[in-house]
Amino acid sequence: MSLKKFAIVSLLLLSSYVFSQEKITLSGTVYDNSTNETLIGVSIYFPDLKSGTTTNEYGFYSITIPKGTYTIQISYLGYTTIVKEIVLNEKQNQDFKLLEETESLDEIIIESDIEKLNVKTPQMSVNKLSASTIKQIPVVLGESDIIKSIILLPGVTSAGEGASGFNVRGGAADQNLILLDEAIVFNSSHLFGFFSVFNPDVIKDVKLYKGGIPARFGGRLSSVLDIYQKEGNSKNFKITGGIGLVSSRLLAEGPIEKEKSSFLIGGRASYAHLFLPLFDNDNSAYFYDLNTKINFRLTEKNNLFFSGYFGKDVFGISDNFINTYGNTVANLRWNHLFSDKLFSNLSLIYSDYFYGLTLDFVGFEWDSGITNFNLKYDFKHYLNDKFTLNYGINNIYIKFNPGEIIPNRPDSGIQPEKLIDKYANEFAAYVDAEHQVNNKLTFQYGIRFSNFTRLGQDELNVYANNEAVIYNQQLKKYESAIATGVENFKRSDVLANFSNFEPRFSLSYLLDDNTSIKMSYNRMAQYLHLLSNTASPTPLDVWAPSGRFIKPQLLDQYALGYFKSIKNGDYSLETEVFYKDIQNRIDYINGANLIANNEIETVILNGRARAYGLEVLLKKNEGSLTGWLAYTLSRSEQQTLGRNANEPGINQGEWYSTPFDKTHDLSINGSYQLNKKWTFNANFLFQTGQPTNYPVGQYEVQGLNVPIFDDNRRNADRLPAYHRLDISATLTPRKNKNRKWQAEWVFGIYNLYGRMNAAAINFRQNRETLRNEAIQTSIFGIVPAITYNFKF
Amino acid sequence: MNIRYLLTFLLVFVFISCEKVVDVDVPSTDPKLIIDAAFEVYFDENPVTTNTVVKLRLSADYFETQIPIVTNATVFLTDLSNNNIIDFSDSNLDGDYEPINAFIPADNTIYELTVIYDNQVYKGTASKMKSPTFTSVVQGDETLFSGNETELKVAFKDDINEENYYLFDFTNNLFLAIEDRFFNGADYNFSFFYDEEELKVPTAVKIKMSGITKEYYTYFRVLIDQSGQNAGGPFETVPSSLLGNMVNTTNTDNFPLGYFHISETDTFTIFLEDKN
Repeated sequence: MSLKKFAIVSLLLLSSYVFSQEKITLSGTVYDNSTNETLIGVSIYFPDLKSGTTTNEYGFYSITIPKGTYTIQISYLGYTTIVKEIVLNEKQNQDFKLLEETESLDEIIIESDIEKLNVKTPQMSVNKLSASTIKQIPVVLGESDIIKSIILLPGVTSAGEGASGFNVRGGAADQNLILLDEAIVFNSSHLFGFFSVFNPDVIKDVKLYKGGIPARFGGRLSSVLDIYQKEGNSKNFKITGGIGLVSSRLLAEGPIEKEKSSFLIGGRASYAHLFLPLFDNDNSAYFYDLNTKINFRLTEKNNLFFSGYFGKDVFGISDNFINTYGNTVANLRWNHLFSDKLFSNLSLIYSDYFYGLTLDFVGFEWDSGITNFNLKYDFKHYLNDKFTLNYGINNIYIKFNPGEIIPNRPDSGIQPEKLIDKYANEFAAYVDAEHQVNNKLTFQYGIRFSNFTRLGQDELNVYANNEAVIYNQQLKKYESAIATGVENFKRSDVLANFSNFEPRFSLSYLLDDNTSIKMSYNRMAQYLHLLSNTASPTPLDVWAPSGRFIKPQLLDQYALGYFKSIKNGDYSLETEVFYKDIQNRIDYINGANLIANNEIETVILNGRARAYGLEVLLKKNEGSLTGWLAYTLSRSEQQTLGRNANEPGINQGEWYSTPFDKTHDLSINGSYQLNKKWTFNANFLFQTGQPTNYPVGQYEVQGLNVPIFDDNRRNADRLPAYHRLDISATLTPRKNKNRKWQAEWVFGIYNLYGRMNAAAINFRQNRETLRNEAIQTSIFGIVPAITYNFKF
Repeated sequence: MNIRYLLTFLLVFVFISCEKVVDVDVPSTDPKLIIDAAFEVYFDENPVTTNTVVKLRLSADYFETQIPIVTNATVFLTDLSNNNIIDFSDSNLDGDYEPINAFIPADNTIYELTVIYDNQVYKGTASKMKSPTFTSVVQGDETLFSGNETELKVAFKDDINEENYYLFDFTNNLFLAIEDRFFNGADYNFSFFYDEEELKVPTAVKIKMSGITKEYYTYFRVLIDQSGQNAGGPFETVPSSLLGNMVNTTNTDNFPLGYFHISETDTFTIFLEDKN
């Protein structure tokens, strides 16, 4: 749809609903009764009107309906539904407090789309997980983990153990927007991806958008992982904790002023030296993170939140090698109600990612990172029960430190060098409408305008013909061009400027009360690129902004889905097909060195990517046995054409599999509650092996035996299929009843049948036999675990 | 220093991981001519000696145990300053071609290597790259990861007036390619660690330092990576073809592999004790 048309349609739709009469507004906040924690996504439903709404990320709801007396139904999974009569004659503020269904720790909550409203809402391609579901999923070494849990959902994969990040619908790991309390988190992994940086005790709500992404999100192409931290119990002081094999957690929360303000402080630390007792050196490998939150309910209409996250990984091998990295996030938010229909949130966010390395035997220290300052102002305007408008602006200032080398001792001989810092500003404004046309048809449509300005930096290389990469016709290979000059800039100069309109559209059409079809289209722009040419991303990969040589990535995604709630919501079926087309996906020339490269433009080729597939999610939501089966059939490919007829591009310009192309991806998760005391859980995963490259031959140069790789068959081979079965059992002692100290034991076995899954297959000559060998690296065999959780 | 290698090392050793040899069906391709001609001029010796062997081989399927040699090629070098021709011959029929009359590559002279094999003509050029000498090579006491490595401390003085690239050969196919970007003009020192599997001490080792071109540096860095001697695991760069500087002038599509390079090389022999 052209932009103009789109704007006109939006206006028409708007005007017909803005001027409604004889209606009154009911608004308020929904809380958990015992902790006073606000609840996200609670359904507020009027069965008489067949109309309703849900609470937003701050627990607020607002609905405008005709005057009258109605039955109101407030429901949220895991909580007792409130059904009551309500007389609505004038505008009314009404808060609700929901009671948890059970008080036990091991309660299983699987959020699902069983409420009618969810079948109705046009938002598709979204998965929700509650903290308690995440805690139930058996994971390696007993550490519950958000990222490991979302990998069990359809359309989400990872490169396996030892791989940072995750891939959504054939997208790269750098295309995920990971938000913690609205702040961008750049690195989601601890210990090379074995654990994610999110402490499960602190998490309130996790939502993963894979498609049909609303206009309020932008900046990354493939997904939005939207995570909210708890605010802290504003009624009672509580301690939650856990002791596991790898790490321990402790969380303290309580009121500052009862029911007015609260604090939360949570920490998690792994045991240093845990994996390294085998070596007698002074070695260490550990991570820790700290989550804090303070919130003040200033008045009925004003809330203030401060949240912070700090996480770090440290590896040290004696003094020779020290590797440190982590995220810091700080966020100040102000919720303000302009009226009972207009909710606003102003956020001031700081976030950074730091990577540091000391190599004493070479004599240097290396630092790199990215820092950003983000100002966001979001509005949610509940015009009436059929029409909600979201709009806002967002400005991010980003500083990139691609690296700095510093001598680490006086006799090192290394000279300090600073790679040129880069600066950019990303601005966005959006408007997005949720619009219920009639009882069957609901639209969500919007548009985001984004602008990216690459700001002046100290030096920028200039190349002949503006070509930073040249093709050597004689030697048949791409080579880095030599800069012909250097330009100097002031910070206020503009090196490059990009603007994009990103329309978003989705609709749902109800076939009957339990069945709907949904459709969505979204265009998105991503101005940042993670430079990585390894099979899976590493913590030392750096981010690069778009500019004169790197263009912004642009995505068009289409999705179509069929949703069915079976047996009154006991089962649900979600099927979707999607197609994604991405412009300006970068790849690298052969032999490119990305680390400490001040001229990154000289190793980059511009290409495109596409992905398409089918996802099926079948869930059982009720009963003592719950769980899901997720299956994805998909393809994810990349193409890098030559810039002219004389150049071959990559893979002779033919499409090739991305490193995260997984044809089949099956996961089954089941949870069985035997009795009050025992709950059992199991996962099974099967994934097509990761694309890889096998050598087509061998030769010898200078005594080195070298495999030959064929450029015409990039990523044409596959690692063996990845599969494993994990089980866990949760024991809740009977003693828990009627006492303050609540405890549970979680016993788990990861990779029950000890499958040695290949993380990589490498080829090399055996030093002793001088025979060539294929060496498979596997990370985890069978791993038992035990965790003790408590709260009081 | 390859940082990815260190990450892989951590990954493999920090976690409960394992490496095992697996059977893999690898694809096959037509044999390619391999031209391995890295000339070394031992400029610090008196008299100056050289290694000017051109090794001709064919590529083989990856798991073949034999690499075919090429004995029926014509090999000669042209001094492009005066078009003098230096003929090479394979007198031992082992695929190693040596000049019929010994010669020492001159300074500031471009040489063109010509190989004629199977009715195809392969050509490439090189001129000698300068190298400093070692200022010191001593055994150290430090270890790296396992506590069982042997440390070799190497020092040399870098030339401040130009960009320099170096190739170190620590014997047993242990190579290191570095650039002077971070130590231009410095008295630079670094440590190299022999893993206990790579070198059994006590033993004498002869190490070499060669001055190399930027292109050869780029080539050799990838060569070391791809040979798998210090890489592996999921953090390895996506492998790709590695082309040298020899061109098949008869049919450019049938490109050869290998490199023609001339360097000044300093050698140092040291006896390494068992200190662990």
